[in-house]
Amino acid sequence: MNDTSTAKTGLQSEAGAAMKQNRTAEGTVGEVYVDDPRMTCRNVDVYYGEKQAIFDVSLDVGKNQVISMIGPSGCGKSTFLRCLNRMNDTIDICRVTGQIKMDGQDIYDGGLDVVPLRASVGMVFQKPNPFPKSIYDNIAYGPRIHGLCDDKQHLDSIVEKSLQRAGLWEEVKDRLDQPGTGLSGGQQQRLCIARAIAVSPEVILMDEPCSALDPIATAKIEELIDELRENFTIAIVTHSMQQAARVSQRTAYFHLGKLIEVGETDQIFTSPRHKLTEDYITGRFG
Amino acid sequence: MNNQQQHQKTMERVQQGLDRRYRKERHFRWLGLGAIILGLLFVSFLFITIISNGYTAFQQTYVKLDVFYDPEMIAPIGETDPEVLSRANYGGLIKASMRQMFPEVTNRREKKVLYGLISTGASYELRNAVMSNPALIGSKAEVWVVADDDVDMLIKGHIDLRLPESDRRIKDNQLGWIHLLQEQDRIEKRFNTTFFTAGDSREPELSGIKGAIAGSFFTLLICLTIAFPVGVAAAVYLEEFAPKNRWTDLIEVNINNLAAVPSIVFGLLGLAVFINFFGLPRSVPLVGGLVLALMTLPTIIIASRAALKSVPPSIREAALGIGASPMQTITHHVLPLALPGMLTGTIIGMAQALGETAPLLMIGMVAFIVDVPGSVMDPSAVLPVQIYLWADSPERAFVERTSAAIMVLLAFLISMNLLAVWLRKKFERRW
Amino acid sequence: MNEMTSGHIVKAYSAELDHLNKLVLDMGNLGQDQLRRAVQTLKDEDPKAAGQVIDRDRKLNEIDIQADEEIIRLIAKRQPMAKDLRDILTVQKTISDLERVGDEARKIANLTIHFYDNGKNPPSKEILHDIYDMSESVDEMLGLSLVAFTELDLDKALEVIEMDKKLYEDFRGSLRRLSTFIMEDSRNVGSVVDIVLALRALERIGGHAKNIGGFVIFLVTGKDVRHEDIQAISAEIEASRMAE
Repeated sequence: MNDTSTAKTGLQSEAGAAMKQNRTAEGTVGEVYVDDPRMTCRNVDVYYGEKQAIFDVSLDVGKNQVISMIGPSGCGKSTFLRCLNRMNDTIDICRVTGQIKMDGQDIYDGGLDVVPLRASVGMVFQKPNPFPKSIYDNIAYGPRIHGLCDDKQHLDSIVEKSLQRAGLWEEVKDRLDQPGTGLSGGQQQRLCIARAIAVSPEVILMDEPCSALDPIATAKIEELIDELRENFTIAIVTHSMQQAARVSQRTAYFHLGKLIEVGETDQIFTSPRHKLTEDYITGRFG
Repeated sequence: MNNQQQHQKTMERVQQGLDRRYRKERHFRWLGLGAIILGLLFVSFLFITIISNGYTAFQQTYVKLDVFYDPEMIAPIGETDPEVLSRANYGGLIKASMRQMFPEVTNRREKKVLYGLISTGASYELRNAVMSNPALIGSKAEVWVVADDDVDMLIKGHIDLRLPESDRRIKDNQLGWIHLLQEQDRIEKRFNTTFFTAGDSREPELSGIKGAIAGSFFTLLICLTIAFPVGVAAAVYLEEFAPKNRWTDLIEVNINNLAAVPSIVFGLLGLAVFINFFGLPRSVPLVGGLVLALMTLPTIIIASRAALKSVPPSIREAALGIGASPMQTITHHVLPLALPGMLTGTIIGMAQALGETAPLLMIGMVAFIVDVPGSVMDPSAVLPVQIYLWADSPERAFVERTSAAIMVLLAFLISMNLLAVWLRKKFERRW
Repeated sequence: MNEMTSGHIVKAYSAELDHLNKLVLDMGNLGQDQLRRAVQTLKDEDPKAAGQVIDRDRKLNEIDIQADEEIIRLIAKRQPMAKDLRDILTVQKTISDLERVGDEARKIANLTIHFYDNGKNPPSKEILHDIYDMSESVDEMLGLSLVAFTELDLDKALEVIEMDKKLYEDFRGSLRRLSTFIMEDSRNVGSVVDIVLALRALERIGGHAKNIGGFVIFLVTGKDVRHEDIQAISAEIEASRMAE
């Protein structure tokens, strides 16, 4: 803060924001758009039967960036996250309108198959959910069903690489044939991350990946997320604001199904612009 | 201070009510324990009655005869033509042997009573012996043959000798002969193999449950091959694919209701559809199996759906999230996890089907069938129907056979349930 | 409790923040009082009272340490975010500025002792006049900055920053005037140097008040304005108000 130059750039970005103001979506404070988006969402509404869960959300997910979504329970952040790989399709009464594009391709387009979409937009869930199979089979399952491996050797190398990327290789390399459910909670979650990256997705969605883990395991996952950012685009829903502040570059605050504010994480956690954001992150939300 | 007083007052109140609360709890526990003990008493009473009635049926009284394979009565020595051998008068051999043992019996009426000590089935034993070994002709041998059921009952102590002679099935002169035979060590109780190797018969000593077991086996085979795949497929569709709307709700309600429909209704349905409409033969395991399949379907569907429901949704999410198609998700992950539960439900359904009588009565499986069925198209009885038939028979010897058949049926049911428990324990996975 | 500290779901958190803010006010009032008393001792030529002022400075240092401890505890325990975080940082900086205000006041009290203890070399009343004038405007600035802090008043904060410019000009003017005293009579050099030091102390107090004004702007808007042009800042604040 003593550095004059950072203070200056801060102000300049402010001025830039003022300029971009006309590009900002209605009802959302902050910069919804980024220059180099991987996914773009425009005017997304989600309905569960008659009930509307998401109201007119527009948001860009930037390439090789971690975007975190925060907000009180039931604010629709998980619902929105599940729109990004069409996991909401599994719920009969769920209906999504608006436009979600990935690399320019509308993912809700009738012609687009959901299977390749989910292969390129992987997901990690709240509760570690390894298959009740061996560690090896857990990782190998995705490449197998998508036919990504030519032979056993190739599959072996995919499994090893995925586990290494997930920082789990050293811990499990001697017991690949043991059940994945026998690992500790944190290891299971890293196994799930390894399983997701085994099919080389472009985007990884994480739905509260650390809420069932202890602080050390959480720290390992956070470190992993930071490393994965180099190769993947990550969208993470979290209840821990500290976690959002630590791992993400951009933060979006949801409230009652609306996207209230989105911006650089640094800005959101030091001087949010919207009162609701401020109240939530300072623990005043009642 | 005020708080302290308040607390003391509260504690006093609590203390006052405490005794009553504990007493109530004790009473409730006694009540529960009493209910369990009563239930156990009933069950053990049932078991004790059945076993005490039935265990004697596993033994059978045999009589030793000195048989001369008289070539005049059978065929010339050296004859091997089965046609000739089978037509011979083996009953005459036995009668001759009896006459020889009791030469003092000359009266025609008395002779007939004397011959009655030996089962009519004894002649078949001799025939079988000769036919398998024609060299026997012309030789003499000691042969153990099955005694008549009345003799059997007497030896087993089921005939009350204090009754007047006219009320007894064993007359005084028969008693004398039997004592004579006993003195000569010509009467013996042996393991009753007939019971497990023969079909039904009018003569208790010749009747067995093999026909019924085979009938039950074929019926269950049909039932399983139809009910299991159909039930599992229906459950998977309803649980995983079917949209949740009014139609599926209706189907669900109907399945649950079908499980509660009296089984005889299924019998009527089978009679109307399979026999009258499709023209399938009566009394065959094929129709029985079809009817029982209809009856067990709801049970299997309900159990399978419960098993599918108990697979944690996180596994489905994991598979879908990695890009597996719904079909792959189900076949690779959900079904293997649900299968133990499904199998358990199926086995329990099968056990139910095994013990079912009413619907089979409607489709004619209650007929008296002597032959052991060899295929699903042969007329046959099943175990519970056999029990029902025997329970209706007046002969004292059928009483113990009824109980013995019940014991066999129970043994099958218990082992099937144990198999279900074992399967569940072995394949059950925990998360 | 003010708007800044209240409203947390965890009430103890609000109370702790509130207590921190109260410490700032206590310290601000004490600092202002020290300033007034120090200048008063000069007027009264009372070295004994000046000694008391110097003793009372310890009280300020104690509050400074207490506030630091509370801040560390609060950060470790509550992990403050957004305006709470800014509030705590503001409090910490304000406290350290106020502590220095106390130090400057002590310097003035020392001057009283230097001038009037044992009656060595009392300066002429005329030379001291600049100190009284300047102390009044510094006092006003300090008071205004504290009001800005309590009321989160951007206008008052900007006013304090604006006043600092005038104070600096006054300080330059006083220096020029004092130099004429030296030209008149070179024996005045000793006391003039002392008085310049006192003026410098007052000017520093004004600077601390200005800092506090800047912290208030940071606290309210989240922008660090310490090294910014005052015109640009007020224009921007005006613009954001218009936007709202």
